[in-house]
Order: sequence, then structure tokens, then C-alpha cells
Amino acid sequence: MQAGLAALLHDAAVLHRFADFLEEYCKEQERSQRYIDASGDFFRYAENLARGIKVKLRSYVERASRFPPEIAAARVATLRREMLTFKDYLRLLHTLIKPAADAHTLSIPAPLINLASDQLHQIEGMKDSRIVVLLTPQLMYFQRPHTYVKEDAGRVEKFISQAKFPTKLGFIELPYSQGTSFFTNLAIYHEIGHFVYEELSTLRRKNPHIAALESVKDKSLAKFPLQKDPQVRKLAEKIVESWTQEIFCDLFALRLVGPAFSFALVEILSMLGSLSRQATVTFDEEHPAPACRFAEHVKLLRKDSWWDAIAHCEPEQKKLLEKLAEIPSTDYRVYSDDSGPKRLMGAFVHSIVPAIEKLVRQVTPRAAPAAKRFVDTRKTIKDCLSVGVVPHNTSTPPDPVSIINSAFCFYLTALPDIVTTFEGVAAENDVEIRSRWTKKLEDWTMKAIEDSQVRSQFERTQRDGPF
Amino acid sequence: MTPIDLQDRAQYLSLALFAQEMVSVLMEYVDENESRKLKTALRDALNSLKGAERASVSSQRRAAAFASYEQLRTLEEVWKPEERAKAKQMIQAILREPENPKVKPAANDLINLFSKLQDQALWNFEQPRPVSPGAMQRLCKLA
Repeated sequence: MQAGLAALLHDAAVLHRFADFLEEYCKEQERSQRYIDASGDFFRYAENLARGIKVKLRSYVERASRFPPEIAAARVATLRREMLTFKDYLRLLHTLIKPAADAHTLSIPAPLINLASDQLHQIEGMKDSRIVVLLTPQLMYFQRPHTYVKEDAGRVEKFISQAKFPTKLGFIELPYSQGTSFFTNLAIYHEIGHFVYEELSTLRRKNPHIAALESVKDKSLAKFPLQKDPQVRKLAEKIVESWTQEIFCDLFALRLVGPAFSFALVEILSMLGSLSRQATVTFDEEHPAPACRFAEHVKLLRKDSWWDAIAHCEPEQKKLLEKLAEIPSTDYRVYSDDSGPKRLMGAFVHSIVPAIEKLVRQVTPRAAPAAKRFVDTRKTIKDCLSVGVVPHNTSTPPDPVSIINSAFCFYLTALPDIVTTFEGVAAENDVEIRSRWTKKLEDWTMKAIEDSQVRSQFERTQRDGPF
Repeated sequence: MTPIDLQDRAQYLSLALFAQEMVSVLMEYVDENESRKLKTALRDALNSLKGAERASVSSQRRAAAFASYEQLRTLEEVWKPEERAKAKQMIQAILREPENPKVKPAANDLINLFSKLQDQALWNFEQPRPVSPGAMQRLCKLA
């Protein structure tokens, strides 16, 4: 037998079995569950890839048996390395496939995801984009994007041509325990921000607004003597890029969904224990300090008329936002012991953040009209919710962003009223009952959004004709 | 694999796949005298190696490889500065005269270098490490 062939055959068989399982698993999910948007595309990609790898394995065995003896050992080692590389790529997908399979329509807030997809399509250049929802075992939101997974897919395609990664496919991740809740899941808008940023940054023809931001980042980094040490320069770029994306995604989410996103972020950071005084002023390698993020939230909401629009709503969360926004940037630190690159953080806050805001304004629709619609309809929506009615059957049907913000304000300020109205005064301090009514409120809100989308679709069809 | 791990690991894997592509086209060239994909791949590699020496944010995503901290760190772990210089020279030599059989040994040397790079990238994929404390200390001094 050719040198190393037995080991290669063993590796090939292991990889074949792994690919075969993933292919069958994806097929089974598509048969047995219902998914929204692009999960099916993602499963089919994984199936094609697995099939392609199995075909490739046959060619490896054939090639390995033909190498001249003097080079056989080295060449077989190369083929085994290739197989290991494909196996590692399947391992990456393995991490995504199960969370995608778990995110069927019964386990996620489908109306919210559909609404977010519709809004995503309004962004210039994102018309044909699609979203795969993942239910992650991590109790966290605001993860990093998946740019490099897609880059890997592009490289793999050079070897396995039938494995074409669907274009404009984005991933958003929800903690599985929060799958069916509504308010905290507004965080998906932040995740969609990552997707939009990735797409705009990797276009063949550079987006001019992204180019302008990159130029500001270049100039900011050029202030430091980093050129002689490329690894340190890359590290600085990596940190600035992470901070940039976080602020971009926050502001992007605010422009699409209004102050409800800020409230959702407060809820999430509070759930994760990230709102202590020390945590709120601390930048880490991945995230700007929450105080810095919320300062930008408040600034944008004021400029977009949203802050005035929610003047009537004074929950603790809003006071916290104001308090954090007032912390001077001189109090920010990098790492809890303030041992990080502080001047880099200063350059980020003072030079790069304003450029991010400019970019967000250029790629998102104007927010003032949404704030105005909210002001016009919030009382009607509140009145419906107060008596346990889904707010859709009103004379002026409210739009989804108004519904979301009205419902969130209601949740933060008026939930005790509805509990006492329906359950009696004795139930006011009952945690279980309060939790149950939160769930009801979320269900009404989702139903109202779903109705609103059906109505929009009907109106579109009346106006433009079917298809 | 947490999502952050996943993104970091994907970067190592991207580098492994880049090295694999280089090895693959060089093997076709050495073993089968096939050079259709050779020039494009070698040019990409040369540009990436040059780009790694003068990085900027705007070029970050457009370079073929070594575009991220993780990828550059892997390169520096496995190729000494003199090997990087030698790799560039060998690539240039093959690009100048791909038909010349005298450059085949250089192609074989490149296969070995890129195989080493692929091995290291796969190892880092398996065992991703946090940012090097040394690099972070240098950054804190400079910025």
C-alpha cells in the first residue's frame, strides 16, 4: 500500500461520516420544522457542502494512490491537512446548524423578525438580504458578526464549487431562553446592524459613507506611532473596529426602532449584571463602556425628536439612561484597572464616534416621522393595552414602531395598573402574576405587529398588484 | 465554541484555507506542470505579504490574507522575518519565469512554507489564545 494511504483512508472515512450526518440532519430539519426567512437556504448550503466534501474525498484516495513513491509521504500529508481543514470548517458550521435548527417558528418571535427583515430591506443595498435566526445557548446578545465565516465559505468554494454560500445572508442570535419574549429581543436590531455594516464594508465598489468613516479611523490611528510594529497596529485596528461596530449597531437600531431599543439594552445589561458603576464606565477590547453607548443613544434620540416624544414616560430605565449619559468621558476607563490604551479610547470617543453617527444617518431612513407617528398614536395604543385589547382595530391603524415604543413605555410604567385592574389590588406585588401579564403584554404587542404587517401587505398588493 | 470564539476561529481557518489554496496551486505546478491558477494565487500572496507590513484600516478587508490581528500573529509565529523575505523573493522569481524549470525547487520550498503556515493556523483554530500580553503592553505604551 502507498505510504500513508491507510491513515488517509481512516481520516477520509471519519470526515465522510461527519459530512453525511450533517447533510441528513439538515434535510431532516427542513422536512420536520417550519422556519422563517433564510434558514432553509443555510441548510441547503450545508447539504451541498457536505455532498461536495464526500465527492472530494473519493478524489483524494485516488490521487494518493498515484503519487510517485519518492514524494508520496509528503503529498499524502498535504491531502490529510486539506481534509483536516475541511473538517474544521464543518466544525464551524456544526456550531451554527444546531442553533439554526432550534430556531423554528414556534421558538422565536416571528412577527418581530419579519418586521426587522422588512425594515432591513428598506436600507439601500440590502433589498435582497436574508436572515438566519440562531437560538444560542449563551445568555447574551450583541455578539460579534460572522464576517469571517462568510470569508471562509468563499475560500472553501474554490475547492468545492457546488458549495455556494447564499449571497447577503446574515445571522442573528437570540438566547434560547428568550426566544419567545419580545422586549429584550429588540436587541436583534443591533445584530442586524452588524450584518448591514459587514455588507457595506465588503462591497466590491466601496460605499462612500463607509470610506469616509474608514478615513477618519485611519487618521485617528495615524496619531500614534504604530507603523513600526504591524502586530500592534493590527491590534489597535481590531479594538477600534470592535468599538466602532458596537456604536454603529446601537445607533442603527435606534434609528429603526426608536427608544424602545435603549430600554431593551438597559434590560439586557441589567440582566447580565453589567450596570454597576465600575462596569458602566469601562471599555473592554470588544465593547465601549455602557455609559459611552448610552450617551450616544440620548444624543441621537434628542436630535431625532424621540426624546421629546417620550417626555410623558418617566420610568427608572429612562432616568438611568440620562444619568449614564451625563457621566463625563474623562471618567471612562479601559479595563477595570484602567491599564488599557486610554489615548486610543480618547481618539475613538472624540473623533471616530461623530463619524459613526454621520454614517448611521446616511444609511438609515429619517427617524423624525416615526417619532411624530408615535406621538399621534401612543394614547390610542395605550388605551387598548390598558383594557387588554390588541391595538389594531383603531380608526388610524398604528405603525409597528409606534406599537413597539408605546408597548414598551406601557410595560415600564403601567404594568402594575393592568395587574390590579384584572387581578385585584392584592396581586400588585405578586411576582408570578406580574411575569404572566408581561407575557400577555408581549403577546398582544406581537399580534398587533403581525396584524400591521398583514395590513401593509394587503395595501401594497392593492396598490402595486400581486407579485 | 462561543460566538466570539467562532469569529476568532473562523479567522484562523480563513488563513488555513488561504495557505491550502497556495499549496494546492503550487502542487499542481510542480507535479503536473499546470499553471492556470498560479499567477493569480501568487500575486494575491505577494500582495498579502506586502500588505502585512503596511496595514491600514481601509485596506483591512480587501487584503487576501493577514488582514486581521489573529492572522498576522499566526504569520509572525511561524515565519521568521528572513523567511518572509525569502518567500517574497521566491514568489517573484516564479512569477517572472513560470516556464523555467529552475524555479520548481523554489515552488517546492514555498509548498513547505505554506504547509507550515497552514499547520499553525489549524493549531490556532484548535487552541485560540487571547491577545498577546506583550502586544497589548506595547499598544498601551504607544496609544
